[in-house]
Amino acid sequence: MTSAVAETPAAPQGDAAPGLSGVSPGAMLWRRLRRKRLALVSMVVIAIVYGAGILAPVLAPYSYAEQNLERTLEGPSSDYWLGTDRLGRDMLSRTLYSARTTLILTVAVVLSGSVVLGVGLGLLSGYRGGWVDGAIMRVGDIFGSVPGLPMLILINATTRPRVDELARWVEEHTILSNELTTTGGASYFTVAVALSLFAWVGMARVIRAQVLQLRERDFVLAAQATGATGARVIGRHLLPNIAFLIILSVSAGLGAIAGSEIVLTWFGVGVQPPAASFGQMIFAGSGARTFQAHPHLLLVPAVVVTALMFAFNLLGDALNDAMRGQ
Amino acid sequence: MAVYIVRRLIWLPFILLVVSFATFSIARFGPGDPLAVAAGQFRDPEILAQVRAERGLDGSVLEQYGRWLSAALRGDFGESFLQQGFSVSELIFPKMWISAQLGLIALVIVFALGIPLGLLASRLSGTWIDPFIISTLLFLRAIPVIVLIPPLLWLFALQLNLLPVGGWGGLFDIWWLGGVVAIPIPDPHLYLPLMAMSIGGFGGVARLVRITALEVQGEDYIRTARAKGLPESVISGRHVLPNSLLPVVTVIGFALTSIIEGAFFVEVLLGIPGIGRFTFEAVVSRDYDVILAMTVITSAVFVLMNLLVEISYTFIDPRIRLGASAAT
Amino acid sequence: MGGQYRLLGILLAVLAVLVLVVGGLSAALLIGGGEETGGNGGTTTSSPSEAGPDASEGGETVEAASGRLRLPGIDPITLDPHLVTDTGSAQYVAEIFSGLTTISPDLELALDLAESFDISEDGRVYTFTLRPDALFHNGRRVTAADVAWSIDRALDPETSSLVALSYLGDIVGARERRLGRSETLEGMRVVDERTIEFTLDAPKPFFLWKLTYPTAWVVDSQQVEANPRNWTRNPNGTGPYQLKEWRLGERIVLEASDRYYEGTPSVKEVLFELSGGSTLTRFENGELDVAGIGVNDLERAQDPSSDLGPLYSNSVEMSISYLAFNTEAPPFDDVNVRRAFAMAIDRAKVAETVFMNAWLPATGIIPPRVPGYTAEDKTYTFDPEGARAALAASSYGSPEGLPPITLTEMGGGASASIDTQAFLEQWREELGVEVQVRQTDRATLTADLDDGRLQIFVDGWSMDYPDPESVIDLKFHSTSPLNDVRYQNTAVDALIEAARVEQDPERRLQLYRDAEQILIDEAAWVPLYFPLAHVVVAPRVEGWFAPPLIMPRLRFVTVTE
Repeated sequence: MTSAVAETPAAPQGDAAPGLSGVSPGAMLWRRLRRKRLALVSMVVIAIVYGAGILAPVLAPYSYAEQNLERTLEGPSSDYWLGTDRLGRDMLSRTLYSARTTLILTVAVVLSGSVVLGVGLGLLSGYRGGWVDGAIMRVGDIFGSVPGLPMLILINATTRPRVDELARWVEEHTILSNELTTTGGASYFTVAVALSLFAWVGMARVIRAQVLQLRERDFVLAAQATGATGARVIGRHLLPNIAFLIILSVSAGLGAIAGSEIVLTWFGVGVQPPAASFGQMIFAGSGARTFQAHPHLLLVPAVVVTALMFAFNLLGDALNDAMRGQ
Repeated sequence: MAVYIVRRLIWLPFILLVVSFATFSIARFGPGDPLAVAAGQFRDPEILAQVRAERGLDGSVLEQYGRWLSAALRGDFGESFLQQGFSVSELIFPKMWISAQLGLIALVIVFALGIPLGLLASRLSGTWIDPFIISTLLFLRAIPVIVLIPPLLWLFALQLNLLPVGGWGGLFDIWWLGGVVAIPIPDPHLYLPLMAMSIGGFGGVARLVRITALEVQGEDYIRTARAKGLPESVISGRHVLPNSLLPVVTVIGFALTSIIEGAFFVEVLLGIPGIGRFTFEAVVSRDYDVILAMTVITSAVFVLMNLLVEISYTFIDPRIRLGASAAT
Repeated sequence: MGGQYRLLGILLAVLAVLVLVVGGLSAALLIGGGEETGGNGGTTTSSPSEAGPDASEGGETVEAASGRLRLPGIDPITLDPHLVTDTGSAQYVAEIFSGLTTISPDLELALDLAESFDISEDGRVYTFTLRPDALFHNGRRVTAADVAWSIDRALDPETSSLVALSYLGDIVGARERRLGRSETLEGMRVVDERTIEFTLDAPKPFFLWKLTYPTAWVVDSQQVEANPRNWTRNPNGTGPYQLKEWRLGERIVLEASDRYYEGTPSVKEVLFELSGGSTLTRFENGELDVAGIGVNDLERAQDPSSDLGPLYSNSVEMSISYLAFNTEAPPFDDVNVRRAFAMAIDRAKVAETVFMNAWLPATGIIPPRVPGYTAEDKTYTFDPEGARAALAASSYGSPEGLPPITLTEMGGGASASIDTQAFLEQWREELGVEVQVRQTDRATLTADLDDGRLQIFVDGWSMDYPDPESVIDLKFHSTSPLNDVRYQNTAVDALIEAARVEQDPERRLQLYRDAEQILIDEAAWVPLYFPLAHVVVAPRVEGWFAPPLIMPRLRFVTVTE
C-alpha cells in the first residue's frame, strides 16, 4: 500500500480517527494530504504556474504583445528561449502572461462564483430551509441541467459586445481613460461572470448538505437557544466548521475553471487579444500542418497546460480520497 | 420511488421552459440577428424589416418568445438560417444521431479498456506496474482534447498516412471479400475521433476499479474464500471482479458528460457533421431556432440521464434512497 | 442480491470482450483492406442502408471514382437561386440553374438562355429572345412565361429575398413589387412564347451584368408551386448539372444533365466532399482532385521541385480586403488622421512575413481583371515620417490629442487577427498611438456597421461583376446604403453620377479611375490586399479554375485518365 501514486484508498488510519484526537477536520485533512507525495508535487506545480503568473511582469524578457516581424516562427534560441510565434512575439513572455490570465480568471471565478455565490447560497439554503432552500436548489437544478459549454459560448458571444459598450461608457464618464478596454478588462469580466454563473451550483450543494448536518448538532442548537442571531450562528459556529470543506471544493474545482477559460478563448469568445491566453496560443498552433512545420507553437502551451491540468486532477483526486476517509 | 420519479418528471417541463426562455433572451441580447448575417452586403433597411416580419423576428423579445413557444409546443422548432429549406428537427436529429453513435462507442471503449486496466493494476498492486498504469492513464486524462488532436492528426494522417484527416463516412464500410461476400468494417474516419474522445476517460474508470478491487480484496468473504483454499483465479473471477465493477456503473454519468464536452472539439477539429459543430456554427451566426432547439433537447436529455443514474444507484446500493437529500 | 451483481458484471465483461474482438478484427481488416484499395483512394464509403446499390457495382469501384471530378465543398445555405447571398451556395446554384445572361470563363458577358437581345434607342427597354432549345432538367421547354414567373417570384415579398432588389431593382416597379405595394412587376412584359421585355427606370449599361446573378435566374414554376418549402432538395433547373445526391454535412453529387442545350458536359459526375478536414492532405492521398492551399503549405506548393509544385497555380479572386475609417467618427473625421494611419503601416512587410505573400498588396481599390484596374501603385506607401507629419498637421495635433481608438474586425477563432495585430504594433511604434482591437462575430459587426458605431474596421468586398461600378459606386456614393464609411464628397459623387450615364466605355472607366484616386488620397479606405486563390489541381483534370465571380464553370472541365 505504499505506492508512489497517491491512490491509496482511504483506508482507516489509526491515528486520525475523527473526533478523538481533538484536531480540527481541516488540520486532519492537511495531515493526511501531506502524506501523499504526489499531492504535494501537484501543489508545487500549481504554485509554480501561479507564481509565474504573478511575477510575469518581472520575469518576462519581452512584452507579451511586442512584435518582431523580422524574426517570426523561430524555434528556441538564446534571444527567445521558447521561440517566437507568427508575429515574432516571444513565446516565453506569452506563456508567462497566459499563466497570469489563468491566475486572474481562476481567482476571480473562485471568489465570485464559488465563494460568494456558492457558499452564500449554500449557507442560506441550508440554514433557512423552507421555500428559500427549495428555490435555490431548483435554480441550481436548472443550471445543472443546461449544456454548459454551448451556453458559455453563447453567453460570451452575445454579451461581450454589450459589456464592451458598458466599459466604454464607464471610461467616458469616469476618470478612467482607457484602462478597461486596453487591458482587455471587459473580456476578462465577461468570462469571469459567465463562468461564475455555472461554478456556484456544486459548491452550494456541498455546503448546504454540510449545514443541514451541523444544524442539528448540539453546539448550534445551544447557540440558537441562547438567542444568537442567524448571522452570528453562521459566522461563529457554522463557517469555521465548513471552512475546510470550502477550501477542498475550491481546490477540486480550479482545474475545471482554468480549462473553461482556455477552451472559451480557443473558440474565440473568451479573453480578447492582445491579452495572452493559453487558449489563443493553442489555437495558433493547431492544425496538423502547422504542427508539422512549427511544433513549438503548440508544444509550449500544451506542456504547461497539460502539467497544470495533471496537477489539478491529482490534487482533486487526492482531496477526494482524503475526504472519503472522513 | 415511483412517486419520486413522477415528481422529477413533472418538474422537467418547467426546467425546459426556464431554460428555453433564458437561452432565447441571451441569444437576442447580443447585437445583430441571423438576417443581417445572411444579408451580408445587401442590407436595405426596408427589405430587412419586411423579411424580419416574414420570419417572425419583429416585435419584442416576449412576443417573439411567445410565437416560438406556441410553435414548439406543436412540435415545430422553426427553420434554420444556416440550412434554409430544412426544419430544425430535420437538421438536428440526424446530427445528434451521429454524435450519439460516436459518444456511445467512445463510452463503451472507455469501459472496455478502463476496467481491465484497473483490475490489472489492482492485481499488480505493490509492484511498479500498478502506479505506472494508473499515472499514465491519469496523465492522458490531463491532456486537453484541443491539444491532443493536432499531434494525433500529424502522426496518424501525415506521418504514417494510416487514417483520413477528418470527415465522416458513417459507421461501417462494406469490405468485399472476392467481390462477393460483404463484410462490414468500421469506417476509417471513426478511429481518430474515437481515440480523441476516449483517451481522457480511461484514467477515471481504471482508477475507480482499482480502488474498489483493492477494497473488495480486503473484505471478509474474500478472506474466507482464501482461507477455504480456493484458487486465486476463482477468487478474482467469482468474487473480486463482479463486486468491484458495481461502483463503476456510477461513473457512467460523469464519463458521458466528459465525452459530450470532448465531442464538441473533436467535431469542430475533425470535421464531423455532428451536433457539436453545428451548434457552434449556429451560435456564431445567431441561428436562434437551432440554438434553442439544441439547448432544450440537450437539457431534457441531461435531466433524464441524471434521473436514470440516480435510479441505477438505488439498484446498486439499496442504502441510497431516492430524493433523500431533497427530503431532509 | 449476489445474483444481480454477477449478472451486471457478466454483462459488462461480455460487452468488453465484444468490443475488443470487433476492434481487433476490424483493425486487422483495415490494414489488410488499406493495402488493396489505398493506392487509388477508391474505397467507396457508404452507410449500411446503401449497401444495395453499391453491391451491384462492387467490382467497378475504382473506375467509377476516376470518371468523376472530386472537389472540396461546404453545405450550401440554400439552393434557391433567388435567395442566394453567399459564394459557398452559389457554386452549386451556378451549375444547376441558369438565366438570360452569364459570365464566360474569360470574364466576358455571354448569353445563356437568351439567344439574342435588343436595347432600345434610349437604353431603357431590353428585349430578350429565348433559345428554342433551352430545357429544364425534366425536359420541359423554357418559355418567356417561365422567365417572367421566376423574376416575379424573386421580387415577391413572400419569397423574402434579401438580394432581389439589388440586382433587379433597375426594372420599373421592382421596388413596389418587392415591398408588396404592387401585385405585378410593371416593367416586365411577356411579348410571346420566346420573347420577354424589361423596361428600366433609367439607361443602365450594367443591367445585362446584373442579370448574371442567380436572383435573376429561372426556376420551374410547376415544381415550386407544387412544393414551395422543399423543392430545393431536388431542384429542376436549367443549368448544365443537376443535383443527384445531397447528404447534409457529407457530400453533394452533381450529375451532368443531358438536356443541356450545348450537349451533356464532359465530366459526368462531380462529387463535393462537405465534411471538411484538411483538403490538401486528402488531395495528396488521392481523395480529391483539387485542393486549396493555406499559408502553411504555400512555400512547399510554390517550390517547383516539390510534388505539389507542378500542380500549383493561383488566381485573383476579384475582391479586396481593406481597412475602413468611419469618416463621421472622431478622430477619423479629419482626413489628416486617416492619412497618418494609412502611411504608418507597412502592408508589403506584413504580406510577406505574416501571409507568406499569399495575398497581393493592393495597388488601388479596383481589383485586377476588372476593367479600370491599373497595376501601378496608387496607394500610400509606408512612410513613418510622412505619417507623423500628417498627424501633426491634423486638428488633433499629436497622439495625445486623439480620443481612444478601437479597431473592429470579424474573428471567429482566436487567431483571426494576425495581420491587424501587426498593424496595431506599427501604429504604436510609428505614430505612438495605442489602438484597441475588438473582435466580433459577423452578426455584431454588421449591426455596428448599420449603426455607424465603428471607428476603424477591417472588411472585404467581392465584386458582383467585372465593372468598377460594382465597388466605386456601391461603396462610396454618398447615398448608397452600402457606404459603410459614411463618405461624403460631392466631387466623387459627381464623377460617379457622370459615369452612370457615360456611353463611351473608355471615358467611363477614366471617371471611375479619377474617383478611385480621390478616395485613396482622402484615405476613406486603406486598400490592403487583393486576395489570391491558391490551388493544386490533379494532372488528370483540365480546364478547372477558381471562379472569381458567381459563374458556371464545371462544364468547361475535362477529366482524362
